[in-house]
Amino acid sequence: MFEVLEGGIQTTVQDYPGRVGYLDLGTYPAGPMDHFAFRVANLLVGNAQGAAALEVTAGGLKARFQDRRAVAITGADMQPTLNGKPVPLWESVGVGPDDVLELKIVRGAGFRAYVAVSGAFDVPEYMGSRATFTVGGFGGFEGRGLKKGDRVLLNHAGAPDRMIGRRLRASARPQYGSQWEIEAMRGPQADPDYMTAEDMEFFFSHAWKVDRNSNRMGVRLESHKWQWARTSGGVAGGHPSNILDDGYAVWTVNVCGDQPIILVADGPSLGGFICNATLIYASTWKVGQLVPGRDTIRFKEVTIDQATQLAGSIDETIAESSIERG
Amino acid sequence: MPGMHDRNTAVIDVLPATADRPRVMYRYAGDRFLLVEYGEMVLDLTMNFRIFGLNDTVKKAELDGLVETVPALRSILIHYDSRRLPTHMLVDTLKKMEETVPPGENLNIPSRRVELPIAFSDRWTRADIERYVKYTRQDAPNIVNGHNIEYIAQYNGLRSVQAVIDYICATEWWNACIGFWPGLPFMFPLDPRYAIVTPKYNPTRPWTPEGAVGIGGPCVAIYPVQSPGGYQLFGRTIPIFDLKQRNPAFKVNPILLKPADRIQWVPVSDAELESIREKVYDGTYRYKIVAYEALNVKSYLGFLDSIKSEIAAFQQRQAEAVKHVAIP
Repeated sequence: MFEVLEGGIQTTVQDYPGRVGYLDLGTYPAGPMDHFAFRVANLLVGNAQGAAALEVTAGGLKARFQDRRAVAITGADMQPTLNGKPVPLWESVGVGPDDVLELKIVRGAGFRAYVAVSGAFDVPEYMGSRATFTVGGFGGFEGRGLKKGDRVLLNHAGAPDRMIGRRLRASARPQYGSQWEIEAMRGPQADPDYMTAEDMEFFFSHAWKVDRNSNRMGVRLESHKWQWARTSGGVAGGHPSNILDDGYAVWTVNVCGDQPIILVADGPSLGGFICNATLIYASTWKVGQLVPGRDTIRFKEVTIDQATQLAGSIDETIAESSIERG
Repeated sequence: MPGMHDRNTAVIDVLPATADRPRVMYRYAGDRFLLVEYGEMVLDLTMNFRIFGLNDTVKKAELDGLVETVPALRSILIHYDSRRLPTHMLVDTLKKMEETVPPGENLNIPSRRVELPIAFSDRWTRADIERYVKYTRQDAPNIVNGHNIEYIAQYNGLRSVQAVIDYICATEWWNACIGFWPGLPFMFPLDPRYAIVTPKYNPTRPWTPEGAVGIGGPCVAIYPVQSPGGYQLFGRTIPIFDLKQRNPAFKVNPILLKPADRIQWVPVSDAELESIREKVYDGTYRYKIVAYEALNVKSYLGFLDSIKSEIAAFQQRQAEAVKHVAIP
């Protein structure tokens, strides 16, 4: 049992890779915004990497444990404490009955922390996943963020003591800042047919400010006066960003009129606007750590071969070989 | 060659059009998705039929590394694991499939027929339209006598509300794709003699009841949940999305409709709709779905050919009507 004393800004149960296989029925996968920190948290406490754990957005979670568990907190530094004493990040610690875990409102770099508990959170599977889909209000714990008074079940933990004191080696830990470089690939609708080469050059060189109004559906960037390769969207609409509706790749950059929006975990599955670039498997985690209204992004263009290499190396990093004993 | 430069073009490969099929473009959508796109950007249901032909072929091939496919109007988004199924191999496979996808006229697309009751100009959509007039826009030209259905008649050169109802019920509606919100269908009339069109709300409507049915451009949609919206509303139907899965129709998942379904509207009164909706939720209503049917494209194209002059006549009537109608 995990008793919520304060839910925080937005704390949801997620699993990885989320609700995969329902895009053609209009359902984006949900799951963690930062799959790197999420999977590492589970790895540290001996769970399967995709097991149900908490995503704490912006902080403010306070909760009480009821039994002996290994717990790991990864991601943004929300100055976590256990019974008031600081707890290290990227490292599993032991908790016992009545221990109180607290994560403060995030102040520094990064925006989301992950809390994995040995045994994992026991919420019902919905459409094959335990991830909370905030837009539809399903999955996770009652389809919503946690709030004061919620009592979330935990699965039987086995022998938690063996999973305490494990930490991710320093060289494997991601560095968070406020100016991000995020790898992306050109397309599906870029130059020369939808945007001009200059538009794409601007896209891949500009430092884009992350809009305050960003969430698990979309991360909004600032509007820009694009040149566009077309004068209108033709049958699809008056604006050159309009197309006849296509399925949207998860983590694509959707240009709605003038404004680019990165479509993230709980986004729309289909729509009538161009997507001029798409993030890669190895770079999507960074989006989860962007601080709205403050951070900036530069998109770094990569090829499919580079993307595949990076994908291999991120998965190699999230592995037992990266764990050391404290 | 990919990998030799520090960038890819967005378009990976192109198959030029042949007599049997449209041009095919393969586009990168990151390292996990690929977009297959047919022809030019025109609204043409035969293109959508071919999408389903290809979708069927891709699914049956059971490619190792394929995760899922997302058919849309003239494209399929393919979700795949590029480490198990390298992009160039996927593209090669897809190109070869173009030789095996039957040409449009030989396609037989598995398609369920779904009958849905609808209350036209119902009191629930009326209530939200009234709120729109009160709080959002008083002088919206698309609201006449408290509803959008008279405007739909005006915009399409139809004489009465009853004519709009007759038109909507005279054709089956082809669910070309599902998306944006879980379970939301994008439907087009299979009989273009009844292809009504409308502009969208301006500004959009903050409220729409769950189950509301509306039209934007040529596309009819059902709102799966209570939400904002921009389509001109003409009625309300029974739930197509039920989170709590209270009816056998929602046993597998909370979403009723699938891509390539054909929807037939059956008019009912507000009171009848209310009673059916109750039976949906108490689990006793049986959705009217015929699962074993298919759409034979050849006979469909023959049908289209036989009604050419009637289609042209209606389009002309619409074009004339639009001149006298204000745009929201």
